[in-house]
Amino acid sequence: MKPMKRRIALPAGYAFVLPYIVHFCIFIAFPLIFSFLLIFHRWDIISPMQWIGLSNFIKLSKDLIFFKAIGNTITFLLIHIPLQIGIALLLAEFLNQKIRFRGFFRASYFLPVVVSGVVITIIWQQLYATDTGILNSLLVRLGAPKLPWLTNTGLAMPSIAIMATWKNVGLYIVLFLVGLQSIPTYMYEAADIEGATHWQKFFHITLPMLNPTILMVVLLSTIGGFSLFIEPYIMTDGGPMNSTLSAMLYIYRQAFSFYHMGYAATLGFFFALIVFLVVLIQKKVVEKESVY
Amino acid sequence: MKKIFWCILLCFACGNHPEGHRSDVIRLTYWSANNQDEIYVAEQLVAEWNVAHPGIQVKHQPIPESRSSEEVILAAVVGRTTPDIYSNMWPGDVESYVRAGTLVALDSLAGFDSLSAARFTPERLRESYSNDGHVYQILWKTNPVMMVYNKKMFAEAGLNKPPSTYEDFLEAGERIGRDTDGDGYVDRWVGITQILVAWWQRFFDYYALYIAASDGKTLLADDAVAFDNEVSVEVFRFLKTLFDRGYFPRERMDARADVFMNGIVATRFTGPWTITQLEKYAPEGFDYDFAPLPRPRSSSGPAYTYGDYKSIVIFSNTKYPEESWEFVKHLVSRKSDLNLLSTAHQLPIRKTILQDSLFTPYFVRNPKMRAFAGQSDYVRGVDHSPVLREIFDAISQEFEACVIYGTKTPEDAVRSAAYRAHVVMME
Repeated sequence: MKPMKRRIALPAGYAFVLPYIVHFCIFIAFPLIFSFLLIFHRWDIISPMQWIGLSNFIKLSKDLIFFKAIGNTITFLLIHIPLQIGIALLLAEFLNQKIRFRGFFRASYFLPVVVSGVVITIIWQQLYATDTGILNSLLVRLGAPKLPWLTNTGLAMPSIAIMATWKNVGLYIVLFLVGLQSIPTYMYEAADIEGATHWQKFFHITLPMLNPTILMVVLLSTIGGFSLFIEPYIMTDGGPMNSTLSAMLYIYRQAFSFYHMGYAATLGFFFALIVFLVVLIQKKVVEKESVY
Repeated sequence: MKKIFWCILLCFACGNHPEGHRSDVIRLTYWSANNQDEIYVAEQLVAEWNVAHPGIQVKHQPIPESRSSEEVILAAVVGRTTPDIYSNMWPGDVESYVRAGTLVALDSLAGFDSLSAARFTPERLRESYSNDGHVYQILWKTNPVMMVYNKKMFAEAGLNKPPSTYEDFLEAGERIGRDTDGDGYVDRWVGITQILVAWWQRFFDYYALYIAASDGKTLLADDAVAFDNEVSVEVFRFLKTLFDRGYFPRERMDARADVFMNGIVATRFTGPWTITQLEKYAPEGFDYDFAPLPRPRSSSGPAYTYGDYKSIVIFSNTKYPEESWEFVKHLVSRKSDLNLLSTAHQLPIRKTILQDSLFTPYFVRNPKMRAFAGQSDYVRGVDHSPVLREIFDAISQEFEACVIYGTKTPEDAVRSAAYRAHVVMME
């Protein structure tokens, strides 16, 4: 009887997984394989593909703008991740206390996460405007000089990082809140009995216990940060002087402005490899620190 | 019962066939631009055609919505879903499509010579030719880039005419630029241009000014880079001076209310679409006019500018090239051109349009359009090159470095842009 049962059960099983298999084949496997093949071709979409071997890799190795774009993305990450973790942790700690209107504050901080990135970017573009922006109006009223937030090569990427932090911090506050609420209270009670100060409790209980959450936040922020696109695309178009040109924006331009599909695929695979390596290193470093 | 059912079905099958679905009727699909005015014009022209040609019925469809019409056409070409006829093609893209074999050579069709002779000056016809010596597009309409200026702001600054030279423009910049709220920062400027580095933004500053300063030259000549010259340097220097002296703001203002209409800037390099906007939305009493772009004092002859053409093409996947061509001839007839002009306020590319009595009443009713019609005799489009976008990108990168941020001299910027363009063309 057993073989009979298997014969009846198997087609139904395939039928159940069929939607996923179809989805996987069309939206994941095919694009991945096609992109991989593109690496070795020149293709402008309308003309037939042309086999060019490793020429795209040779072009990549000489492409200084792409390496600048990677450098810009790393600059963004170096500002954005610590800022995000610091602010999210501080606000999570604050929102974990028994304060009035706690629910309101938690919802307020989360609100930018669900608002369209394009809308937020346009609003911040207005805030950052050198001559007419609200931020500079405030600075002038305080007697400070106007700052070229988005038109100075040194300031533009930090300005974008600040905006991205404001948009995303709500999500990480929630993650930290979950982490904070899962720390057993007896640890703090024991520390209180030992006479520990607030800061001692924070550094010796809270932070170590939050390590898995911090790891998750670092990884999510890194992957999110590497895909930086909307903000520079709308606010600065990669300027001034390519100082906010992110790797994703550069790949997009190669693909959809100049129709260098093969080269864009090569950049995409190379960039994915970098993201993978960075995340791997982060995982090793942060996890090592979590031994307590 | 069964018989009755089959009879009814047969009646439906026969009776439901509207005349337009007869098998001997040729059906063409025509895509127009998707702005409301042009949709209206296209619908009128198609309706006229369908009444007059029951054997060739045209279905009009505005080009599907997207970030740009160029992207839609590209997707349609790749997916082989192009219409038979399309009337909003940017000439800069034509050469790529020609190389891919996706367009019909129009000069091989009957009546091309008479149509082009009636419509184009020899100069304009030359611009229609692709590198392989054939014509794949009918240049249909143009948006010449001119300078719109706020007459009141000029009068308040003691200037009684628009600047025609770089020196005049810089003087206007000195007189008009000021700090109105006393915060120590300039908040009125003589003009503005987009500081974004997107390649096509240069149509409205460097490229239009280069054509004006060079008496109608474009970027390439004989399939080689031709803008590495003193005129280019002079244009870069002029624009750089405007930013260096603070006569142009070094920031984007496109996310706020129109800065020209609100008297924040006194001029703008723009096309005829500005007239419709200003007539609709400008405050009462807002006084403006148009003038040719400023040029170096040494320039002579008529002032040229960038024409921003749009063309009509027939895609090669059409089954009916001759019939499509007949419809194209209908689209570019004198009567259709008048419809385009009077309904959409778009300027058809037609020689001696100002002297043609059919168009005279329109220009009497719309005197501001006269300036553009006059300018349309002195316009240039873009070169035929499949790497045109990258050439403009190279210029735009150097424009940003030199003009906006002043990190390069005009000479170095032009040299670098020309070198990069040369490399791109050789790849």
